[in-house]
Amino acid sequence: MATDRSSLVLGGALAITGFLLVSAVHTGRVERARTAPRQAELVELIESRQSLVEDLDAAVERLRADVTRAQQRASRATAVEEETADRLETLGQLAGTTPLRGPGLVVELAPSGREPPSADEAGAYEIHDSDIQLVVNSLFAAGAEAVAVNDSRLVATTPIRAAGDTIVVNFRPLVPPYRIAAIGADRRRFDASDIARRFKRWTELFGLGYDVRGERSITVPGYTGRVSISTAAPAPATPATPATTEPAPAGSGGGR
Amino acid sequence: MAALIGLVVGALVALLLRPTVPADLTRYVAIAVVAAVDASLGGLRAHLERTFNDRFFVVAFLLNAAVAAGLVWLGDQLSVDLTTAVAVVMGIRIFQNVAAIRRRLLGG
Repeated sequence: MATDRSSLVLGGALAITGFLLVSAVHTGRVERARTAPRQAELVELIESRQSLVEDLDAAVERLRADVTRAQQRASRATAVEEETADRLETLGQLAGTTPLRGPGLVVELAPSGREPPSADEAGAYEIHDSDIQLVVNSLFAAGAEAVAVNDSRLVATTPIRAAGDTIVVNFRPLVPPYRIAAIGADRRRFDASDIARRFKRWTELFGLGYDVRGERSITVPGYTGRVSISTAAPAPATPATPATTEPAPAGSGGGR
Repeated sequence: MAALIGLVVGALVALLLRPTVPADLTRYVAIAVVAAVDASLGGLRAHLERTFNDRFFVVAFLLNAAVAAGLVWLGDQLSVDLTTAVAVVMGIRIFQNVAAIRRRLLGG
């Protein structure tokens, strides 16, 4: 009798084991089947959206060129509107929607190739959004008239910020090395800036990539984002604060 | 014989019902399964060695599974990976039990 009962108990226990075994295996399989294609789907989605954005950018650039040409054609018709055409051209150059060319500086920044000695110091071996901001500001202080970071044109509404470990300019993530092209920037004034001096030191200390080249002819592309202002309205001009004055480059240097 | 039938019946019931374990509990169920397999083999071995005691077996079966899952849970709370520790110990025991059963069945 005892063996009957014991084999029944054993059978019951093995039934529980078998049940658990199959359900655990089944759960694992379901879990894997659910996560694996989802990841591939997300990668595919990101890639397709990126190419879509690129296509739309190209379309915007093309259409904007068409508009400019059409405006020129239309307004050249009468002598009165020639003035308007010139004004439009100037405004486009100031707003940053037209590609510009001219002599200037190209600053290249790259993260260090060296291995950081500890995780705490890893930040010193990377290029941060603040580095790009400081270099851009110093380039403007050195007389830059048109600046682009990795061929993304900086305009009045351009943010330079970080999203995790990635630097984002004009809401577009950048891939290192970072190439900052500035038409009109003066080599001597830029080299005298705080950030240029600091980068020279950091190159030796941490092995950061830092290179400044003066070039005869740099092409800076036009801004392809939205330029219209929809929320802000012109404020009535007050005599104390002149609304439209060029920033005086002489006053902002300071570092010399 | 009853043991084999029990195993097959349990597996069939699970195949028919297709139960899914909640994602949070998967790790604990998995390690409890390993402990249950070990306890079952231990029971089979005791059965063959004629030292089987059903009360001992049931307590060992439930306690092993509970302790295994509990250890993994404790490890998660302390952020120490105790899953590997439990799996290694259970693995060694399963091999020992299988070896004892083999010796009993084949002799030598």
